[in-house]
Amino acid sequence: MNTDTIYPKVREIVADVLAFDEPEIQRDGSLVDDYSAESIDFLDLVYQLEREFKIKIPRGMIEQEARHGLSDDEFEENGRLTDKGLEQLKAYLSEVPEDRFTPQMQVALIPALFTVETICKIVLRELDRGEQAASS
Amino acid sequence: MFHFVDQILELDPGRHARGVKHVTPGDTFVRPTAGGVPALLSCIIGEALGQLGAWNVMAAKDFAVRPVAGVVGGVAIAGEASVGDTLLLDTTIDSVTDDAVFYHAVASVDGTEVLRLENTLGPLLPMEQFNDPEELRERFARIHRPGDPPEAPQPDGDPAVPFDLSFDEILSLEGGKEATAVRQITGREPFLADHFPRKPVLPLSLLLESLLQLGQKLLEDGGPRYVPTGARKVKMTRFVEPGSSLVAKIRVVERSAESALLRFRCEVDGGRACVGEAEYSAAAGESR
Repeated sequence: MNTDTIYPKVREIVADVLAFDEPEIQRDGSLVDDYSAESIDFLDLVYQLEREFKIKIPRGMIEQEARHGLSDDEFEENGRLTDKGLEQLKAYLSEVPEDRFTPQMQVALIPALFTVETICKIVLRELDRGEQAASS
Repeated sequence: MFHFVDQILELDPGRHARGVKHVTPGDTFVRPTAGGVPALLSCIIGEALGQLGAWNVMAAKDFAVRPVAGVVGGVAIAGEASVGDTLLLDTTIDSVTDDAVFYHAVASVDGTEVLRLENTLGPLLPMEQFNDPEELRERFARIHRPGDPPEAPQPDGDPAVPFDLSFDEILSLEGGKEATAVRQITGREPFLADHFPRKPVLPLSLLLESLLQLGQKLLEDGGPRYVPTGARKVKMTRFVEPGSSLVAKIRVVERSAESALLRFRCEVDGGRACVGEAEYSAAAGESR
């Protein structure tokens, strides 16, 4: 399975949660910048995705996975990304345009980078995880 | 007074609760009905259900956090609760995380369902920002009486004056199509004292009630009379605080001889504050 498979459903849910018409939702659109997503929308979105795909999206999962191999100190300093952390995050969120990342950006603002494709990747990762758990 | 759970009959922390709300002559949030006996506003029944869910979560989390209005996936209005009726409130929590509570709930009168909430999400925020935790603990201790029979409180004084939910001004209204209205939150609204003592904000329930009424006005164009039957995908994105000027836009999306679907969007300072859909059905045999 790849993100193409789940994109139509994810787009439908994103449109629904953010009160847009489906055709207005672009795969590389930023949830925050392009569709004005607020914190309640993220809660709602995660809940709707969990229900639809029967997955559990752990809180802070993105940050956890993005720091892949880096310790807390290597990844962030006082709530802001280190240079190393930023590079790691860019590689991890490869679908997000380069110019949206800023040096020493706040860790809390990472979700503001998310595009619709990021959401697809998160869902896909959790679906894969679920399959692995079921087959092991 | 903006507290609507008179007694908690059963409480399974973090999972389920049952409680009652007596509809008394002293209730402020009532509206006149054709039968002459005033009925509680539907959205206040929803508020009572939400408050029961809130008591459950707050007790389960030792009053460290409280839920606030977030998303209501569906409200279904099936009947009414008149003065003299006792509402049985039943709230089931589907899940609680560190951030939010998800629940559904049903209110009934004498075994007949009057209102249902589906797919409701309330973000959990630090209690200290909204209420004095001790005050809520005390209130909880007063209403959490699982063994006692549900008894209606004695009426005190004169019947309350129904609360005015209308917008201050309708800026535009194109009958059967769309309307724009504005309401100023002055800070003098009596419900702000309880909602919430440390952070007064417009309750979603009252906003929704006024939107349902505005939609009803929009549908009055000589055809059948439409009555609200519920709402869907209602989401409160930000707090509407005193000093805010709330601009509501509502438009008809679908309409037939039997039913109508309207979509609304409320903004404060150009930012989205609340969106959702309102549902109506044509009252049988009535026209004006």
